[in-house]
Amino acid sequence: MQTIIATENLTKMYGPHVALDEMSLKINSGATALLGPNGAGKSTMIKTLLGLIQLTSGEGEVLGYNIRTEGDSIRQRIGYMPEYDCLTPEMNAIHQVKYCGELTGMNTNVAMQRAHEVLEYVGLRDQRYREISSFSTGMMQATKLACAIIHDPELLICDEPTNGLDTKARGFMLDTLFQVVKQGNRSILMSSHLMDDVEKICDRIVMIHKGKLIAQGKIEDLKAIDREIEIWVWGGASRMEAALNDAGLTPRRTGRVMRVVRQDETTYDLVLELAAKSKVQIRRMEDYEPSLEDLFLVIMDRLGYGIKSSADLLQSQPPTTSVAPAPSQPGGNY
Amino acid sequence: MEDDIPSVDDLFAGDDFPPSEPISEETLPIIESIPQPNVDDKIESLMAVEQALPQPDILPADAEFMGEKGGVVTGRGRMEAAFGTGDGDEIATAQVAQVASDATAGTIFHQVYRPWRGKLNSRWVRNWAILRYHIYGLFSKGHKPWPVMTKLVLFGVLITSLGDLLMLTVGAATGVEAIERLAGISRGNLYGHVLSFWFRNACTYPIVTALIIGGMISEDRRNGTSALYFSRPVNRRDYAAMKFLSVAAILSVVVLFTLSAYYLGAILVGGEGWSYVMDTGLLFLGAFIAGTLLVFTYTSIGLALSSVSSGKFFPAVAFIGLILGTKMVAFLIWALFDSSAIYLISPYDNLAHVGQWMLGLNHTYEHPASWSLVMLITMNAVSLYILSARVSSLEVTRE
Repeated sequence: MQTIIATENLTKMYGPHVALDEMSLKINSGATALLGPNGAGKSTMIKTLLGLIQLTSGEGEVLGYNIRTEGDSIRQRIGYMPEYDCLTPEMNAIHQVKYCGELTGMNTNVAMQRAHEVLEYVGLRDQRYREISSFSTGMMQATKLACAIIHDPELLICDEPTNGLDTKARGFMLDTLFQVVKQGNRSILMSSHLMDDVEKICDRIVMIHKGKLIAQGKIEDLKAIDREIEIWVWGGASRMEAALNDAGLTPRRTGRVMRVVRQDETTYDLVLELAAKSKVQIRRMEDYEPSLEDLFLVIMDRLGYGIKSSADLLQSQPPTTSVAPAPSQPGGNY
Repeated sequence: MEDDIPSVDDLFAGDDFPPSEPISEETLPIIESIPQPNVDDKIESLMAVEQALPQPDILPADAEFMGEKGGVVTGRGRMEAAFGTGDGDEIATAQVAQVASDATAGTIFHQVYRPWRGKLNSRWVRNWAILRYHIYGLFSKGHKPWPVMTKLVLFGVLITSLGDLLMLTVGAATGVEAIERLAGISRGNLYGHVLSFWFRNACTYPIVTALIIGGMISEDRRNGTSALYFSRPVNRRDYAAMKFLSVAAILSVVVLFTLSAYYLGAILVGGEGWSYVMDTGLLFLGAFIAGTLLVFTYTSIGLALSSVSSGKFFPAVAFIGLILGTKMVAFLIWALFDSSAIYLISPYDNLAHVGQWMLGLNHTYEHPASWSLVMLITMNAVSLYILSARVSSLEVTRE
């Protein structure tokens, strides 16, 4: 698997504010998610990868090009889909996409031909001569994607690609992005707050917080960090909770459903033993398969964010009180 | 009660199976009364018809039809070939939509990502694309969508700017010497074409400039289209330079093209020779340079104003206010204190003063022309600095 992004001690400071703090990461080809709360440094990271800002220190390469000196070459091979509106409302979709191709360096005729192709690919074949101002949010997102892939980039950077989309449009957008990776054999770096979206497309994540890398790797591997056993009890859940606490298993309880961290193979026997002692029925016991959302919440919880879902991060602000320091090792201490 | 219900075995047992009812005698005559077709007659008549029809072509022994040699080309054979009306056991491969199996309910097209392996051009082609986008948009669809009002005003001012050429032509056509003298090439007329305050620099040129620069950069900021530029291999210097050149090119058509047309028209209409060109060539060059300074200054001030805003109304109004407002303020203060140095605050008056100096006209200002030139350079430098700083602040991500 080819390494498409590699950085070494990347640091960017805006005055006294550290936006990126000695970020060392390695991203292979495929689909990768860039996660982090507001103010974590995602936008700075994207701008850095696009070669748009001067770094304070550190080195990095994107697609084999130096981010300090070869920004133009990088941007010629990258497609960027911004989160916010970036289209000229009075233009037709076909001309907007064609112009984006020309800005990348395509000939006019080639750009026009390719614009037809990509607009068909993103599902706007019949709307390509419509004015963008009359487009729905989903159609605008699709046009932005068409603008990003017109030159068939090796790496596609998508900033919240499903932002503001309804369920149907969101599904289509995710399928389309997935096809870019699957059929086109292209790489995607996707920034999103929606863990379902990330889990559907990406097989790896990079999580940053306060400019530091706190986790990176395959989603499956990261999920295995905190393996839990889920127990459904009947008749004396509080007794069972107390027993588990006494045994040092520190359960997390919601009603009669509890989760305890699986320490080793003996944890199952211990749970059954405690249930017998507490005279509690265990109706169901299974390994809990955590979602990416769970993983994200656990990490955010340990960093001091009192959030109940990843969507809360859209409204939340970084905590002002002191928080647990971000781990120094990539992959985290989890 | 349950004992009364017969079991399945009971129903099918040979002894207990209810006998079928015999056909009654009454129904038989009805069946017999239905006229039965004479099958033998029908066959004979069909064979006669078949013999009367043209006989099927017998293929040559080495010919093939339907994969068999020496076959008979019958109607049925043709139907087989065309529609495959056989019993389904023939050796054939049905052509079906292979991709349909991948499609899900409601999918009306098959999504296929097509790679592109073309060549991307160099920086100058990208810059040319930006320039063309803005200029072609004035008269062609598919480029920058200029408002209709801007196009109309631009066209009107272009025609108005050709007014002196028109007068020259009318004078030559009618032979009225007064008109020819009035509209002919002279220092005053060349200066007037570019820098006369009334009415070109009081009405037409500032208005045209205001309409053009209004949304030039501010709309990129408002619509977020700056992200489309800077996420591509377009650097900020090229972006600002192409925006500048676009505005300057459009203004040049209005100011410099019409000036050149006026001068060339005077030569052609008057049938003038080389000596005339030698006499007036330097005057034209001076006017051309003064016009270039006007275009440059209006463009830099206009784009600086456009870059500090996120709408097109403010830059347009601010530009007109700056050009006409400073002139008005300077005039009022000059009237009170009788010192022309106050005109240094007015971009137009600095241009006019430098223009008078370049064309060798009597100065209408008391202070030295070099002061106006220095002030003009300062104004342009400040404007370009603001433009540069504001373009640098345009974001690719959230503003």
